[in-house]
Amino acid sequence: MLGIRRGFGTGPAALDGVDLTINAGEVHALLGENGAGKTTAMRILAGLDRPDAGTVAVGGAPVTEFAPRALRERGVAMVQQHFTLVPTLTAGENLAMARPSGRLRPPARQVRRRVDELAARHGLASVPTDVPVGRLSVGEQQRLEILRALDADARLLILDEPTAVLVDAEAEALLAVCRGLAADGRAVVIITHRLGEVFAGCDRVTVLRRGTVVCAGEPVADHDRTSLATRMVGSAPTAARSRVVRASPDGAVRLRLRGAALRRLQPLDLEVRAGEVLGVAGVDGNGQAELEELLAGVTGAEQGTVWVDDAPVPVAAPRERIARRIAYVPADRYRRALAGPLSLADNLELGRGPTRRPPRPRREAHAAPALTEWDVRSTGPGAAAASLSGGNAQKLVLARELAAERALVVAAQPTRGLDPEAARMITERLLDAAAGGAAVVWFGAELDELFAIADRLIVLAGGRASAPFSPPYDRAAIGMAMAGGHRR
Amino acid sequence: MNTLFTLATLAAAIRLAIPVAVAALGEVLTERSGVLNLGLEGTMLFGALAGYTGARVGGPWLGLLAGLGAGAACGAVLALLMVVVRADQIVTGLAFTLFAVSATTYLFELSYTIGEPPPRIESLSMAPLVAIVLAVLVGVWFLLTRTVAGLVLTAAGDAPGAADALGYRVAQVRSAATVAGCALGGLAGAMLVCGPLGLFVQNVTAGRGWVALALVVFARWRPGRAVAGALLFGLCDAAQLRLQGTATAIPYEVFLALPYLVTLVALMVRARRSDTPAALAIPFVRGRST
Amino acid sequence: MTLTDPRPPKAPSGPDGVLARLLDHPERRSRTALVAVPALALLGALVVGGVLMGIEGVAPLSAYGEVVRGVFGRSRGLSDTAVVATPLILLGLGITVAYRARVFTIGAEGQYIAGALAGTAFATAAPLRELPAAVLLPCAFVVAVLTGAAWSGLTGWLQSRFGASVVITSLLLNYVAAAALAWAVRVGMRDPNAFTPQSRPVAALPDLTGTAIHLGFLFALAAVPALAAVLRRTRFGFRVEVLGASPEVLAVNESRPATTRLAVLAVAGAFAGLAGIVEVAGVTERMTPAFATGYGFTAIIVALLGRLRPVGVLVAALVLAGLTVGFDEAERVFVIPSATVGVIQALIIVFFVAGDALSRRKAG
Repeated sequence: MLGIRRGFGTGPAALDGVDLTINAGEVHALLGENGAGKTTAMRILAGLDRPDAGTVAVGGAPVTEFAPRALRERGVAMVQQHFTLVPTLTAGENLAMARPSGRLRPPARQVRRRVDELAARHGLASVPTDVPVGRLSVGEQQRLEILRALDADARLLILDEPTAVLVDAEAEALLAVCRGLAADGRAVVIITHRLGEVFAGCDRVTVLRRGTVVCAGEPVADHDRTSLATRMVGSAPTAARSRVVRASPDGAVRLRLRGAALRRLQPLDLEVRAGEVLGVAGVDGNGQAELEELLAGVTGAEQGTVWVDDAPVPVAAPRERIARRIAYVPADRYRRALAGPLSLADNLELGRGPTRRPPRPRREAHAAPALTEWDVRSTGPGAAAASLSGGNAQKLVLARELAAERALVVAAQPTRGLDPEAARMITERLLDAAAGGAAVVWFGAELDELFAIADRLIVLAGGRASAPFSPPYDRAAIGMAMAGGHRR
Repeated sequence: MNTLFTLATLAAAIRLAIPVAVAALGEVLTERSGVLNLGLEGTMLFGALAGYTGARVGGPWLGLLAGLGAGAACGAVLALLMVVVRADQIVTGLAFTLFAVSATTYLFELSYTIGEPPPRIESLSMAPLVAIVLAVLVGVWFLLTRTVAGLVLTAAGDAPGAADALGYRVAQVRSAATVAGCALGGLAGAMLVCGPLGLFVQNVTAGRGWVALALVVFARWRPGRAVAGALLFGLCDAAQLRLQGTATAIPYEVFLALPYLVTLVALMVRARRSDTPAALAIPFVRGRST
Repeated sequence: MTLTDPRPPKAPSGPDGVLARLLDHPERRSRTALVAVPALALLGALVVGGVLMGIEGVAPLSAYGEVVRGVFGRSRGLSDTAVVATPLILLGLGITVAYRARVFTIGAEGQYIAGALAGTAFATAAPLRELPAAVLLPCAFVVAVLTGAAWSGLTGWLQSRFGASVVITSLLLNYVAAAALAWAVRVGMRDPNAFTPQSRPVAALPDLTGTAIHLGFLFALAAVPALAAVLRRTRFGFRVEVLGASPEVLAVNESRPATTRLAVLAVAGAFAGLAGIVEVAGVTERMTPAFATGYGFTAIIVALLGRLRPVGVLVAALVLAGLTVGFDEAERVFVIPSATVGVIQALIIVFFVAGDALSRRKAG
């Protein structure tokens, strides 16, 4: 892959000028944080996406058609984080669909033999073939995906965060299989953010950061954990952001978690004081979404308690949440925070507002000052929320959530996808909320940003939280914590 | 209650079940691929009219063939609207059925002169019809469980994203399934008319298409169960017809409602639809998560 | 996959297509576009109808002239239209509420029957029927409304509790209601003095003074602005819109979707039940086996043609009712197959669905 560039919408490109070389017979690690561009790059290679600029060549011949089938015929197969198996069909049926041997389905015994042979040949444990795939364990499903790719004689196998869903023993087995495949003359690319894996099973490593290559295909043996971690998160920030000086918070504890656990989030103890900004760092998929849901009362904890101002957070009761002055700025703003077809004025009314609504012109007039105050640029309060650009949409969300004094502000990736000016404004307003006495929990992807605004920082990895870091922040240590990753 | 279960009742049950069974089998194909076809009743009506017309021209077997063809034509139109244009499946199907009720009545009235009774057609006895039902059952079952095409069809309904990722054109699969399902629906209508009934009247199917739709849910989208369910419906239908003449403690209307109540209960017992095709009635667009 | 991609979704999530795009904020699109497609569909259907009549040997223009005269020219033309339109308006309003929230129930027919049954049973029950009409009728109405609401709400409950699709369950309940009707007129509420199966007569709704239109039409007319106000000016109406736009946004910010869905279905059922008892008290006087005439399904057409807005529903109902009444008259003069009006009505919706889908494709 040479000079690959891929952008989505406004904002910085996901990939810019990426050069990547993968050789046969090696296990190649593709390392990076969230949003670094790893998955995007590999999706292009697998034909699931196309580059805006640049070229891709497989086996020496350039790729002209970017479609999954075409790349599969060239021997490229990708096992994604979201499996493309049909859950109601059995393993055998899934395989038969991928590579039919004739019009009819082979009898069960034949299928079983085919799967077993395939597995044995590549050193994988076999997979039950008479059970619907949906009922297999995640590890088994993943093996099946790999088997399916191998059945099609894939020469270049791409695995996207394969160990995220495996326990230790399975992960080791998988790495062993990858080594075996490489020894067989194939190429294996493992997308990961876990340093442990890189050192356990990979020959060369490429590190992506913010869409560019910062370490190109160097042998793993040349590095140690620290150097790779530093590459992943960067050394000194390019644009040094001075720490915002604020009075150190010494208010009462507003947010208190005791042993709170949900799905991937392991039991967590946490306290955040009034006026404090707690940064939560970590790669997606390590418990952030769960913590976000617990704090906002979207889902209840499976164990433990989540308390705000000495009372439990109301679960699945949005109006009570608002009454308790908990503000929620979700990570997925278009799915959770804003109803696209409704007007700006209507969106501001969500969860608030009287039972008897005033007529539309009055509602819109009522909404106009908030729009001006928060600098939401639009064609007017009657415009549809879906017509707003990312930055303005987020300002709208804040205009609603931070309209009054808050006890707790849950801000998940609040500046993601925003241009610098909008991001700066959002950041200011969130800090204002903290100054007003709220406890602010800020889930962030960019360490620079978190360093600039957080009074304390925790890292979520493998569902567990690290001990809180305090400023001045040790970038390397935090990078290591992020890349550590306990396995389940 | 011996009177209920005489052979005559059983025979009546089978007779009543035949068209419903075939229509339900067709709908199983369609729904398994992810298309909810509320136009089934309408398709059956067109098939019935075509069957009657064909029978008048060249005998009952030609009628059956005509029904098959008319059904396929309806299927093509419905597939065009629901799969290609991606119009809302519920609205389109409903509109089609409503249209069919009026259109078939109108066309039928065109074909005979008022005052004279419409001619009866030579009708088929039950034996060949039962044979057809069994043949269709075996065919559908074989297609779904033994062929790769059946796998792809199921995938289109359960996980179209996966099917698409493997290179199968979901739209084509669904269109084919809709056409096939409607062809069977048309055949069912023709079987109703060319069978022991032997004539066509306005709205001759009298809601059997809707019954077939409910049957598919009751049968959990499995062909064998669909036929069994049709038999159950037929039994209830025959029972209520029989009871209409006699005075008994159980009102015959209970048997009218019984199949639907049973289906409702069946929907309750198996919580969290695990058998419903996951993408039923959701048009497939590449790039959306499914 | 979505967590790392900040792109907004390109269209509302969930079933896409005519109905979904129909609900894309009609407020925001120009009036003309809103009215154009139904109007053109109507025109197209009339043209095709005219062609069909021409094939029959009937001059289409004269026939249509007779249709118009049947409605506007006769003394009873308008009142007949109003009477036919009444149940369509009420049913259509109920469906509008449900479909705006993207709850696609097709059980209006069953709820209509169930409400009528309950109300009639109440009004003809042994001790109660001696009560004066002024007391009995309103109570019967309440019973009908509550029954319709419950019949519809049941499907909502089944969906929350068991995940059973409202579309299927509402369809099944239609049949149960039909069976109940068959039993009730034959046995349950049977009028012992009648030869054929039917219920006792229910106290009649008085007519509006000086006209042949029963009071029910007034209810229907009043319901139009009332529902419009509820949809635009109450919290409930707001939740209907939000549920239709995004159930997840509703769940996170406003209220539980299951609760709102249940309320929506109950309202839709209430309208249907009201339509049923109004039809009994105002038109048929008693319930007979032929009570179910498919209004529940025609009302879906009315709601869609009316673009899911109360005023639109009123207009569409009046137009369809006018067609029915007018053709009734025209059939006395010309030899037109009685199925013609049905074909035209069906063509209207077919053209509408196709036309709307095509207009959307051209636009985006």
